[in-house]
Amino acid sequence: MIELREVSKVYPGQSAPAVDNLSMTVEKGETCVLVGPSGCGKSTTLRMINRMIDTTAGTILIDGKDIRQSDPDKLRMDIGYVIQQIGLLPHRSVAENIAIVPRLHGWPKDRIKKRVDELLTLIGLDPEESRHKFPSQLSGGQMQRVGVARAMAVDPPIMLMDEPFGAVDPIARNHLQDEFLRLQKEMKKTICFVTHDINEAIKMGDRIAIFSAGQLVQYGTPQEILSKPTNDFVKDFIGLDRVVKILSLFHVKDVARRTICTAGESELPNVAGKMRDLGADTCFVLDNGGRAAGFITWEDIAKHGDSAASETMQQIVAGRKKAFVQELVLLRDALSLMLELDTEHLGVMDGNRITGAISLRDIRKHASKKEGE
Amino acid sequence: MEYIIYIQRNTELIMEYAQNHFALVLTAIIISLVLWVPVGVLITKNEKWASRVLNIANTIFCIPSLSLFAVMVTIPALGLGRRSALVALVLYAMMPLVRNVYQGVKGVDKSVIEAAKGMGMSSWRILWEIQLPLATPVIFAGFRITVVMTTGIAAIATYIGERNLGRLIAEGLTRFNVEMIIVGALFIAIIAIGLDSLLGYIEKRIVPRGLRTGRS
Repeated sequence: MIELREVSKVYPGQSAPAVDNLSMTVEKGETCVLVGPSGCGKSTTLRMINRMIDTTAGTILIDGKDIRQSDPDKLRMDIGYVIQQIGLLPHRSVAENIAIVPRLHGWPKDRIKKRVDELLTLIGLDPEESRHKFPSQLSGGQMQRVGVARAMAVDPPIMLMDEPFGAVDPIARNHLQDEFLRLQKEMKKTICFVTHDINEAIKMGDRIAIFSAGQLVQYGTPQEILSKPTNDFVKDFIGLDRVVKILSLFHVKDVARRTICTAGESELPNVAGKMRDLGADTCFVLDNGGRAAGFITWEDIAKHGDSAASETMQQIVAGRKKAFVQELVLLRDALSLMLELDTEHLGVMDGNRITGAISLRDIRKHASKKEGE
Repeated sequence: MEYIIYIQRNTELIMEYAQNHFALVLTAIIISLVLWVPVGVLITKNEKWASRVLNIANTIFCIPSLSLFAVMVTIPALGLGRRSALVALVLYAMMPLVRNVYQGVKGVDKSVIEAAKGMGMSSWRILWEIQLPLATPVIFAGFRITVVMTTGIAAIATYIGERNLGRLIAEGLTRFNVEMIIVGALFIAIIAIGLDSLLGYIEKRIVPRGLRTGRS
């Protein structure tokens, strides 16, 4: 747990404090994202936690212990630190770079070697192949991964990350973010993460701290921030697509309706009765191979009547051949697909299995839902 | 042809001069390294001292070599000969050595230092394990300049009593003996080129591998 109590920082020669009387707590195992425009004090705050910058006033406690009581070098050896420029040592191999902190801790050689291989595997690099490479032989994304691995080398309980994915291209960044989320799910480290990108903050953070001019403007879960921004600054910072952003906090499976039925193509004329019997409002029509060819919704039946010609039904079904989405897709992306296909309904799948259905109305309801309801 | 005949006739004298020349250069360079490399490293820790020391080095470097040798002779403890020559050469070497060590260490990528510091490396460890190795190309460049320069300037020490290859040139001038002048210059050039090539070879082995692959 990291606790900041009335922390201020005034840089010499400046009258306005870079960080002004800041108090906040980062709970154990949580990712706290510090976000704000440049010069808002987010990086300064982060760097005060491992004493790269000393506080002007106030106290910072790590697990209840004042950081000023520890030797700065010792303190930093137990806190993972990743910066945007990565800062791999260009004259040392990948393995040697990862081994820096274990070496400072005085680990025996074979333990270091084992740990390096373990970490390389964890970040998706082949140990045999990449161990002896130099940083200049890696791609930007690979360097960033090695930077993260290096910070995790001695498995520190706390990690500080200063725009760690800021210097890589958007595709690689997305990939790194996903990978890091996956790792964090298992590691449960206490992480402070600085970014100026609100989307990254929403994606990575258990909690988001929004900074402006050295002050903490709002501190809360992504949903709290998105659904109840405290003031206009936060509103502006999040952007006009605030509600759409809420949709990126949820997956299709959080909203999908599970009551469904399936029918073969030949059963089309009896579909209405079948749906009524099962209390389902969507019926998936399977082709001869058992694959989903499309679906009929209760609305179609209401519109065309129980006894609509089966050609009409077939047309509706065929028109929805592509209207399927995977369970783990974000609601935002599902909405985008609806708009793209000009439909209000999507079938939900887990791999090749049909698991439910989702409609525009479901998404709308979810987006306007306030937290706790 | 006449040069070869001149060398054959005066082999003993030329070898004595060359030996003296070489000895003077080598001693001057060893003293310079022992003295100026640590100075260059130390001033990276303090901006104010860095600018002072670099200013002094620049000023000394601006003094014409002949007059610097002459000034040294006037100092009673030094007098005519080897000691004055050594002091003057070491003072000249200050500029290229101190400046290159300082700039090499200071020029190391800030983010590398920041990351190392953030991982808990002490500042001396950072200096020893990161800054100095990464500065080797720049330090070596200064070292090579120093060696070539010292070899050339050492010739002028003949005017304060050093019996080295400079004497061939000086005497050649007074007697207008072209062979003498050319042979003197030739041997000085050979020593300079020889030492520089040797250092080039050593540099290749010393510069960290990661830096070399980075450039290719």
